Amino acid sequence: MNFRTFAAFVGPSVFMMLLFIAFPLVSVFKQSFYITQPVYEMVEVETCTPGFLTQTCVTEQKSQPKLDEHGEVITQTEYVGLQSYRNVLEPERAWRAITEGNWSVLSTINFWKALRFTLTFTLITLPLVIGFGLGIAVLINNAAGSIRGPVIFISLLPFIITPVIGALSINWLFRGEGILTALLEWWLNRDIALFAQAWTIEILMMFYRVWHVAPFAAVVFYAGLQTVNQDSLESAVIDGATRWQRMKYIVIPHLMPLIIFVSMIHLMDAYRVFEEIVGFSSQAYVISLQWLTFDFLVPDQAGNRSISRASASAMLTMIGIVLLLILPLRRTWRDHKGGH
Amino acid sequence: MKLKTILMAGAMAIAASGASAACSYENEVPLKSLSAGFEAWKAVTDAMAECGNFSASLDQEFREKQPEAFAADPSLYQIGGVANETMIPLLNAGTIRPLDDLVAKYGQDLLPNQLIKVDGKVMAIAMMVNAQHLMYRNDVLAELGIEEPKTYDDVLAAAAKIKEAGVMEYPIGGTFKTGWNLAQEFVNMYMGEGGTFIGEGNIPAINNEKGVKALETMKAMTEFMDPEYLVSDSTYVQQQFQQGKIAMANLWASRAAAMNDEAESQVVGKVTMASAPMGSERPSTTIWWDGIVLASNMSDEEADAAFRLVMEGIDGDMVSANNDTAVWLNAAYQPGELAAGAAASAENGAGAYPASAAMGVLHSALGNGLADYLTGAKDAQTALADIEADYITAAKEAGLISN
Amino acid sequence: MSSRALRQPLSLRLTSNIFLAFWCLVAAFPIVWIAIMSVKSPVDAYDSNALNVIFGPATLATGNGLSVLDIILGIAVIWGAAMVVTKVLPAKIKEYTAPGQAWFGWVVGVLVALIAFLLVFFVVLPAVLNVLNPLFGPLGRDVLGVTTEHYKTVWVDRGFSNNFKNSLIVTAGVVTVSLTVGTLAGYGLARSGSTLAFWILLIALIFRALPHSVLVAGYLPVFINSAEWLAPILGENAPTLYGKPFAVIAVLVAINQPFTIWMLRSFFQNIPAELDEAARVDGCNHFQAFRRVIMPVMWPGVITTGLFSFLLAYNDFLVTSLLLDAQNQTMVPAIAGMFNRETTTTDQVVAVAAAVSIIAPLFFLVMIFQRQIVSGLTAGAVKG
Repeated sequence: MNFRTFAAFVGPSVFMMLLFIAFPLVSVFKQSFYITQPVYEMVEVETCTPGFLTQTCVTEQKSQPKLDEHGEVITQTEYVGLQSYRNVLEPERAWRAITEGNWSVLSTINFWKALRFTLTFTLITLPLVIGFGLGIAVLINNAAGSIRGPVIFISLLPFIITPVIGALSINWLFRGEGILTALLEWWLNRDIALFAQAWTIEILMMFYRVWHVAPFAAVVFYAGLQTVNQDSLESAVIDGATRWQRMKYIVIPHLMPLIIFVSMIHLMDAYRVFEEIVGFSSQAYVISLQWLTFDFLVPDQAGNRSISRASASAMLTMIGIVLLLILPLRRTWRDHKGGH
Repeated sequence: MKLKTILMAGAMAIAASGASAACSYENEVPLKSLSAGFEAWKAVTDAMAECGNFSASLDQEFREKQPEAFAADPSLYQIGGVANETMIPLLNAGTIRPLDDLVAKYGQDLLPNQLIKVDGKVMAIAMMVNAQHLMYRNDVLAELGIEEPKTYDDVLAAAAKIKEAGVMEYPIGGTFKTGWNLAQEFVNMYMGEGGTFIGEGNIPAINNEKGVKALETMKAMTEFMDPEYLVSDSTYVQQQFQQGKIAMANLWASRAAAMNDEAESQVVGKVTMASAPMGSERPSTTIWWDGIVLASNMSDEEADAAFRLVMEGIDGDMVSANNDTAVWLNAAYQPGELAAGAAASAENGAGAYPASAAMGVLHSALGNGLADYLTGAKDAQTALADIEADYITAAKEAGLISN
Repeated sequence: MSSRALRQPLSLRLTSNIFLAFWCLVAAFPIVWIAIMSVKSPVDAYDSNALNVIFGPATLATGNGLSVLDIILGIAVIWGAAMVVTKVLPAKIKEYTAPGQAWFGWVVGVLVALIAFLLVFFVVLPAVLNVLNPLFGPLGRDVLGVTTEHYKTVWVDRGFSNNFKNSLIVTAGVVTVSLTVGTLAGYGLARSGSTLAFWILLIALIFRALPHSVLVAGYLPVFINSAEWLAPILGENAPTLYGKPFAVIAVLVAINQPFTIWMLRSFFQNIPAELDEAARVDGCNHFQAFRRVIMPVMWPGVITTGLFSFLLAYNDFLVTSLLLDAQNQTMVPAIAGMFNRETTTTDQVVAVAAAVSIIAPLFFLVMIFQRQIVSGLTAGAVKG
């Protein structure tokens, strides 16, 4: 295929990605080295606000942005180098905590706290998703043909459910005297508050994620199981291989590309964990990297937002995901070269 | 299952939309509004829609959208709904217009304290006020012979008594959800102690004895709260009240009506609205207002029509029809027992929320940093120092503190 | 398991099936539970006693309930409908449509089935039951508290049908554009071994991994001011992109492109390259070869990929909540708004009903396309 034909096929897709992803990304990259802020002046302002029957007026010094002749806020942009990265990473505090061996201090610094949780979350859910996915796929494959259809249908439900609603429904089931908490309390015969400490919330969040993603893995693996070479399975049986050996030496290697595919998708999705934080309102205990970026970006009540720190934290997040993906990607590179 | 009821409802919906006669005139100019989405806004925008040619966006992302949408020329929305703090970005960017001329033309029915004035110019029209105040179960307290709590020491003593008597395991409720709610609780307490938040040159001033006292009171309260307090928001506290699980809470006046809602509440008539508990200097609460602003990037003709429509939306008819939805600022408002708590707090000298650009930054820093103290990860001074450091970083980035 | 040698002992089959049943319970429970909550009065829905939630005494007390007869007939109708959709419908569609236009047959068929089901379930059935219930004595007495009032509130009073329409517009737009653009790119990438192709794939993968909130916040000011900066190019008619469904469609398509092209590329790689090479020997250029040879065989993979696009667009919250105004709001941000409003408990049950309303179409979609998902995946849409 020559370059022009290739460009014609790929062009529209690349154009859209450039316009809506690459271009914003470049501007985020640039913003992480600059700070843009309005020019403030101190003015004395009298503000009157309602009481119940009367008004209260206060006169005080306030910062007010200067406006130019068109009534637009005057802003200044300044190159600050790595200052925003430093503000996010807080290297001095972190280094002090590390040298003193004081991990609890390190875990109160937002970025490191977020990184710790994001990595734990990603790396713990990964084997669980693969394991459960594989398990469910094998179970479905074992089941009688007539029930496979309905079982696949039910299995897919957690995957298709809208994430916002999924997290909310877990909330209804577990929060306060939610039905499942009540059940646990009745079973263990003690008072349980699942949202009152970090570890229970973390377990709930991981449980939710595995519940949500394992069906996807299961269906992909199930599809893969359909193409396992029956002849080699049968000859393995004749050679006296046990069930476990057949699984290990024939089925798993056959599914390996799929396992890598699911792992990659899961790494990417779990690394940007966000809905769980909002859905379980876990900010008091655990936060994730994407939540941190989001928190910098969302304006406070008075409209201030920390664009530069958000950009820096977004860039750091991206570096992290590239590092995580390098291993699986080397294989893709070989396949790509080998396939042609 | 009942087809008839569905058809009836449909027919009534049609009848309702046909009867836009509730408005005293016909609006000719197409107008749009952007505001928060709580019940009072729904009531107001519904009343405005009766005049025709009006569409309302009740949007939970309004904070993010409003500054941008009002800065566009022409503005994407003519009418905006704001509160103390959310007016600041619009005011600072100069995207809302002074309303003095329009108040003179259409505002005969407005009360003087509805006019939000900045440097003598009317910039917004307040329609309601809201404040957190003490709500308590009169039956529970009376049974144990406890007087109405006046201070937080009273509240804590009462809680201890209730717990001891075995009436309730967690007698206190609180809107301690991490983020805005938790920060607001600190603001209330610190106001009660008479503290100032921000000093000369926007330098933070919360790391002092008053700040520590405020934090300690909050921590003392959590001893009597459901251990999941860091995820409990206003709706959750309201439900705890309705289900009879808690006896006291410093809750928003706008939630008072829910206590007497027969369909949901098991404590109808058993909840008394009282003044917010006193701190060392004044009630531990802040008064908030919600109101309406008009964009400056629109024609005078549109502004005229928009203001007229606003007056129709917040008129006496609307207030009478939705009397218990909010503490309205209107001559037609009948303050009942439900508004008593907010009124008593104001009478005792509660202050307005000290809105400013710097306060917005501080509120966010508080919201993110306070949980570390309550969970025991930091002591009070460290928590406050870290919050101040966090604030300074953010304020420098926003340009509020020069480097 | 065709061979005798692979047959499993009974104990293993039993354990396997027990585990499977347990998984099905875990998978379905939260969804079934919120569906149950959505038809109860607020007092019942939030009761901490599970039996009260299921049987709904408070709901029953208000005179809303179902008798044993109602339940039996209701289940019979649903069962019948499911049978018709899964067994009869595909056959009928095959019978009545030309091979190339099967998709059109599906659209019509599904619509007809849906309307028929709604008519039977909500009009014919209640009428019949109203007559039958008094005749059956104890069987006809209400035993299970059920009320549809929350659904009525959602769809009639809150105007959820408008949000539903908007969701349909956005979703249909995203699926169509995404597949059109993605299929071409996927094919191009699969047939090119160049280093450029690899880098495009690699960068797409990194794009796939980006946290969306970073990108989305940047769009808002640009979209709101688009009338100003587009004016030099488009003149007077320059649109304000903010609030327009097509702008959101473009953003979602772009965000979805990386995944789409990866899926489709793997899929096209499994279609032997000899096929289109043969066509080119016969004198077709690449596009003709694509249209004549590849298009007829690509549907399983495209349908599977399309379903993923559908899920992304339909379930999106971040982009739609920020870039659409209230008039064009889709369902997911609308329901999040319902929860964040100053709500009463009644409002929350209404929101639960809205949540179930959002899930319901997904439910039907998966029911219909489940076979295609598996066959599409089997055909190789996911090979590393």
